[in-house]
Amino acid sequence: MTEFDRRTLLKFGAAAVVGSALGPGITLFQAFARDGEKRGPSKIRWGLVIDANKCTADCTACTNACRTENNVPLFGDPRYDGHWIRKVTVTPKTEGAVGRSLPLLCNHCEQPPCQHVCPVAATFTRDDGIVMIDKHRCIGCRYCMIACPYKARTFVFKNTEKWTNPDVPKRGKGVVEKCTFCAHRIDKGQIPACVEACNKEGEKAMIFGNLNDPNSEIVQYIRANTPKGIREDLGLEPKVFYKGI
Amino acid sequence: MEKPRFSTIKGNSPGYYALVTLLGALALAGFASAWCMFSQGHHVTGMTNAIPWGFPIVMAIYLIGLSAGSLVLSALSSVFGKAEFKPFSRIAALLAALLLIGALMCIILDWGKPERILIPFYSMNPRSMFSLNGMLYSTYIGICFVYLWAMFNDKEKLVKLLGFVAVFWAVLVHSGTGAIFGFVGARELYHSPLLPPSFISAALSSGTALMIIVLYLTFRWTGRTLDEALLKKLGFYLAMFIAVVAYFVFIENVTRSYWPANYEVQKFLLLSANKYSLVFWLGMVGCGLVFPFLILINPATGKSIGWILAASALVIIGVLAERYVIVIPGQVLPMELFPGMTVTSEFQDGVVNDYSVSLTEALFGLGIAGFVFFLYVVALRFFELVPEKAVAAGEEGVK
Repeated sequence: MTEFDRRTLLKFGAAAVVGSALGPGITLFQAFARDGEKRGPSKIRWGLVIDANKCTADCTACTNACRTENNVPLFGDPRYDGHWIRKVTVTPKTEGAVGRSLPLLCNHCEQPPCQHVCPVAATFTRDDGIVMIDKHRCIGCRYCMIACPYKARTFVFKNTEKWTNPDVPKRGKGVVEKCTFCAHRIDKGQIPACVEACNKEGEKAMIFGNLNDPNSEIVQYIRANTPKGIREDLGLEPKVFYKGI
Repeated sequence: MEKPRFSTIKGNSPGYYALVTLLGALALAGFASAWCMFSQGHHVTGMTNAIPWGFPIVMAIYLIGLSAGSLVLSALSSVFGKAEFKPFSRIAALLAALLLIGALMCIILDWGKPERILIPFYSMNPRSMFSLNGMLYSTYIGICFVYLWAMFNDKEKLVKLLGFVAVFWAVLVHSGTGAIFGFVGARELYHSPLLPPSFISAALSSGTALMIIVLYLTFRWTGRTLDEALLKKLGFYLAMFIAVVAYFVFIENVTRSYWPANYEVQKFLLLSANKYSLVFWLGMVGCGLVFPFLILINPATGKSIGWILAASALVIIGVLAERYVIVIPGQVLPMELFPGMTVTSEFQDGVVNDYSVSLTEALFGLGIAGFVFFLYVVALRFFELVPEKAVAAGEEGVK
């Protein structure tokens, strides 16, 4: 290789790298501009109250309904199964204490750390407060799973064979997924599948509603019973509240 | 001091071809593993829904550290006025760029959707440490190449300026990488303001250790003259860097161990008979800090090239262990959803998770490292990287 070739190669290499490096810097302004266009607070803030006193250990109406509604697969291997909502048993460490069963799902935090850390802004908050993932934008880096203190997010390790509900997009492996509060149902004026199942087949332990509406059942309930969010100390302002924990 | 004369290597010996073949084969194995992860899904790795980050991330931050360390060494002559290290500046700057390219490959090929490589360029989140780091990493590679270009064209003033920029950028890159973990409030073992500075110190120690070995082998195998006094000096720097890393490790763990709420976490990491404790004590503390430090400060061994090389090899292993300790144990421990309560579920809540590096991941990490050095060895043949001789001022070179 001659001296000229080498230098030209180096120059082109350097130019290419500088170009690719400056690229993101230029579009960064767009990202800021997009944020600036954000609309003001919406009249709707969806929230959920769960009465752990009513919820029973052997009932899985909510989790079953979620799997069917959202096509969340069970691979038969607990390491890779997706969980949008799961039942946990919480027992005080004192002697003879009785455990409580309750469902755990995405808390749709007002300050969602998953959204804060997402490098490509694939996680976003809808105007009604629902935290969602744009699965066409998610690169599958899994930083959000590291940042979520509720373990509400799961990664699609394998392709899903079954497709139970055509209203929910069939998902492929390689992206992160989580509870959407059944946004597709809410947009049709329905309530989340887990809440509906709990009301119909379960113990009627869940109340879903608009936290911004002072006359809604959920706000009335919160005023009367002061349910608490999980790990409220973390300051994330979760919108799923529990009574009796 | 006379100017070092750089030249390409002949690169036609059987040894050279054997090395290129070996590294190329390693790289191919790495790409095959990456293809396996991409086509099959991440269940071929040791990762699970409880441990979403595995060995590829460990490798990525490890290579980033090696890169930042190499770059600072490259700038020793131009920025810190250590003219005797000028012969190494080209090799170190090239390795810095190649190692960071390797790190980016580790990160991107570990994504569930690596084919979406362009998305981070147009869809950004300025609040995400990952997004910010993406910009820092890509500009860093650019700076390295411009810096190299300036050195190849003997633009002294530009080299000095870019040296400053590069060192500053290396500090940013490493603070940012530490912040990826340190800013996560959800996990006790991640959340620490000390992570950014301790990342920098471990970068310096591992980068120096790598340079000592690479320089020694490069000069020896190409038959160039390398003054041992220079390696001894680097060995001395290495001992200093190790001491700084040790300080950070000590402060971080003592601080965490002091507060009763962290007793369980610290007991798990430091005092349990599990592999994480083993990696912590034997890998990170033993190989990364204690053994090499003792070798380097002991006058009997610290002046021997053989021992300095051994200490460097230990540091290279030890810092890999340190990166493992940063990434893995913080995920293995269950998150405290209900402090003071026992939590059980069908989704491994409340249990200590298990993570083992799978063969695919091991080949992936090793293969990308092989690819980095494959590029380095090939570059030696085409670019004037290695000086005819490197001698300390006023001393005769020893072959």
